[in-house]
Amino acid sequence: MTGERTFQKFKRLIPKKAFLLWLDSLKKDYKLIGPVKTGNHAVFKEVDSSEELFMEYGTTMLSPGKLFLYKPNEELFRFAMNGKITIDEIAPIAEKQVIVGVHPCDVNAILYLDRIFLRTFKDTHYEARRKNTVIISLNCARVSENCFCSSVGAGPFLHAASGYDMLLTDFENEYLVEIKSREAEELFGLEGRVAGRDEMRVKAEKEKSMQGKFTKTINVSGLDNIFAENMEHPVWQQTAEEKCLSCANCVMVCPTCFCYDLRDEMSMDLKTVTRYRCFDACQDIRFAEVHGGNFRQRRAARLRQFVTHKLDQTNQYGVSATVGCGRCITWCPTGIDLTEITKEIQRYEPA
Amino acid sequence: MNKLRLGFFKYSCCMGCSYFFAYVHKHVPEVLASFDFVFIKLLSRKGIPEGPFDIALVEGTITEAWQVDELKMIREQSKKLFAVGSCAVIGGIPAIKATTPELEIEKRVYKNLSSIHSIKPHAVDAYVKVDGYIRGCPPAERDLYEALTSVLTGRKPDFPQYSVCIECKLKGNLCVLIADNMPCMGPVTNAGCGALCPSMNRACYSCFGPMKQANAPALAKKFKAMGISRDDIIRKFTEFGADTIEFRKAVETVYED
Repeated sequence: MTGERTFQKFKRLIPKKAFLLWLDSLKKDYKLIGPVKTGNHAVFKEVDSSEELFMEYGTTMLSPGKLFLYKPNEELFRFAMNGKITIDEIAPIAEKQVIVGVHPCDVNAILYLDRIFLRTFKDTHYEARRKNTVIISLNCARVSENCFCSSVGAGPFLHAASGYDMLLTDFENEYLVEIKSREAEELFGLEGRVAGRDEMRVKAEKEKSMQGKFTKTINVSGLDNIFAENMEHPVWQQTAEEKCLSCANCVMVCPTCFCYDLRDEMSMDLKTVTRYRCFDACQDIRFAEVHGGNFRQRRAARLRQFVTHKLDQTNQYGVSATVGCGRCITWCPTGIDLTEITKEIQRYEPA
Repeated sequence: MNKLRLGFFKYSCCMGCSYFFAYVHKHVPEVLASFDFVFIKLLSRKGIPEGPFDIALVEGTITEAWQVDELKMIREQSKKLFAVGSCAVIGGIPAIKATTPELEIEKRVYKNLSSIHSIKPHAVDAYVKVDGYIRGCPPAERDLYEALTSVLTGRKPDFPQYSVCIECKLKGNLCVLIADNMPCMGPVTNAGCGALCPSMNRACYSCFGPMKQANAPALAKKFKAMGISRDDIIRKFTEFGADTIEFRKAVETVYED
């Protein structure tokens, strides 16, 4: 993670082979995590060697942030009841790890998770992992069918100033390596051609050509009000009836969905209880169940909750919750598309 | 602490839940330490259940009139009654016949019908109020403990009511429905199994039955668009859930088309 002290933000062109060898050299101190090809898809997982990496991947089903920083399942503490209650805290596990090949949308998603877990209330488990994680981002070299990051400013090239360690751009046989943190500066020992104005111009051209490849777009301006005025728009009920399965795949694959549930599991001898945290989903019918009722009993209300939380709540953290990765569209069994729902509402003019 | 009186009752089913409960699961000694097994059909030759019970576990589909009478009596004698396994919870395999007239089914199986007294198959909660559902075929181990510990500690049990997809994603499985185009029932199926089949790269066949408010017709439409035949779609929704409102709706949708 970014240190407070200043560091040298150098930019170099490094042959891909040399870069991958450098990654391997990190393995003595770090767990190396990156995209690996499985069938027609890629998944982020730990690798033994950089040879396993598949850097040309499109979009993974699960984002690295919600696999290796904010864990799907996490034991928080145990307590025992023998007359009095004794609490056995579980110390945060802070293994050093490098996550390589993180696309700009997923870096932005991690920055979003930081807002939740590192601001008002610091989550010690998340914080420990975040501090011990080196994030090496990779600017996108292709646009997948459901990507709309360019419409929300989260990609295809990364422009965040800090919060990650290195930024790579594919330069055919080389990577343009940009150092973004002190830790990266200290770790990165490779000498290479210094990237000057010409290389940065090439990078800007690459970005421009990528911008033109998007087929999916969304206009997010004024969406807060548009959604607020259309809470009972027919598109919610219609989509909920015809398509939405309430299966929560959208939430589970979303890199910014952060809701969690705290659960207690009691041992069969009734002596110890383990409290753990796991992802929760607003599509689960019990999500909004409170004493006396359920304020999102209808499927349409749950669907609306997901879409509007992703797209209209810039008030919550000052930024849009969507990073335009398109995972919720790709992995929806019935192909519900939040950009289409939004367009439908934007087209609508009340009589 | 006095042991709680436990009864395990069995109606039309394979007795797999009793077997699981009495022999297989992880915490047999702890369960024996907390509960008095007053009646377990699998373990006893004498057939008369003697109440009262602190907890009654009921497996099997109700398919005969005498079962209804006994079940009502057990309910009246039990503080808590849980349906165990897909047969008791949703009708399960014995309820495959639910969509066909009784006599037709009987004639297909038996030559001589004089000793057959079966009725329309229904889940346990069609006849008596149930305090909780331990779903699955075989039942979910975690849910079984949840039921037992909830009774021991006097709290409301907490059973999952979300889809298999949530468990599947928590495990990090690649989606077999989207990635491999398999007709997976996970999106409409109640969780509890830990996404067992998708973890083995197989499509879920909904042995846990529909989750609450499942939108089965929408998934049936998706299967149709994938090129699955009408008969196969109907089989998917009637293998375990033929007697459930949610899956009946899917069957209706397919017939209407």
